[in-house]
Amino acid sequence: MIIALGNDHIVTDVKMQISDMLKAMGNEVIDVGTYDNTRTHYPIYGLRVANLVRDGKADYGVVLCGTGVGISTAADKNKGVRAALVNDTTTAKYAKEHLNANVISFGGAVVGEHLAEDIVKTYLAADYKGEDDDLVAKIDALEPDNPEQHDNPHFYDHEMKLWNEGYYHD
Amino acid sequence: MKIALASDKAGFELKEHIKSYLQGEGKGYEVIDLSEKPAADFVDSSVELAHYILDGKADRGVMFDEYGTGSAMASNKIHGMVTANVVEENTAHMTTQHNGAKAIAMGAGIVGPKKAEGIVDSYLGVNYAGGRHQIRLDMLEKLI
Repeated sequence: MIIALGNDHIVTDVKMQISDMLKAMGNEVIDVGTYDNTRTHYPIYGLRVANLVRDGKADYGVVLCGTGVGISTAADKNKGVRAALVNDTTTAKYAKEHLNANVISFGGAVVGEHLAEDIVKTYLAADYKGEDDDLVAKIDALEPDNPEQHDNPHFYDHEMKLWNEGYYHD
Repeated sequence: MKIALASDKAGFELKEHIKSYLQGEGKGYEVIDLSEKPAADFVDSSVELAHYILDGKADRGVMFDEYGTGSAMASNKIHGMVTANVVEENTAHMTTQHNGAKAIAMGAGIVGPKKAEGIVDSYLGVNYAGGRHQIRLDMLEKLI
């Protein structure tokens, strides 16, 4: 399988652990970053993974930030993407079997390394059961498409310009 | 603070428990129950709650279903909504502080009643931190 991986700067080490595991299992990994621990912004990477999954360039996505909340929300806000934030294998299995989730997320700073690997393995090993087509269609129908955000590398240029000018500060 | 609650059938009992808890003496919350009767499914309950909060009728929300992740997945499809599926107390406060989470979701099949109390206390007991986190919220707001 082809798995797209995305993360923020808080959990790059966890991403590498999952990447290594996925490769050892025989999967192809598309790592959209971030690649180091320099401060960056999770929506950038959630959007990149969502685009790859939506375009069929990846079979599934794994997105990680400290709690998983921010990056999974970003990925979920894309047409055709159903991102599930989970912190246990029970929910990971449910998300695939019943919601046909195509992106999985967990809190990289919350879940320990053993459970993290189990979550991703369980999610990938599970199959959508096909019993919940109406529910899945109902979720998919909630959002209109926004062509501006689809495969647009300049989508966040304005926000990054403001950031670089010091507009956003603690 | 006005707190809205919504639930499907699977989350109903936990919703009732948290409703009583938040209405308890000294808590000081105004609790609005959007699911006096359970919604048909978690898409209906979570999306209704999302619109309720985005319309400014409540400050924050708690949504309930069996696993939590479905309510978060569905409600995050609504423009401007940020819902965190939460199973422990640390994420509950981090998501307020860093994501300004407008709601949390809890799965009644995953989170027990005492832990759910700790989670809502943790979620509601802090405020959004702003600052550097705001660029990320602006980026989320720009999506669908």
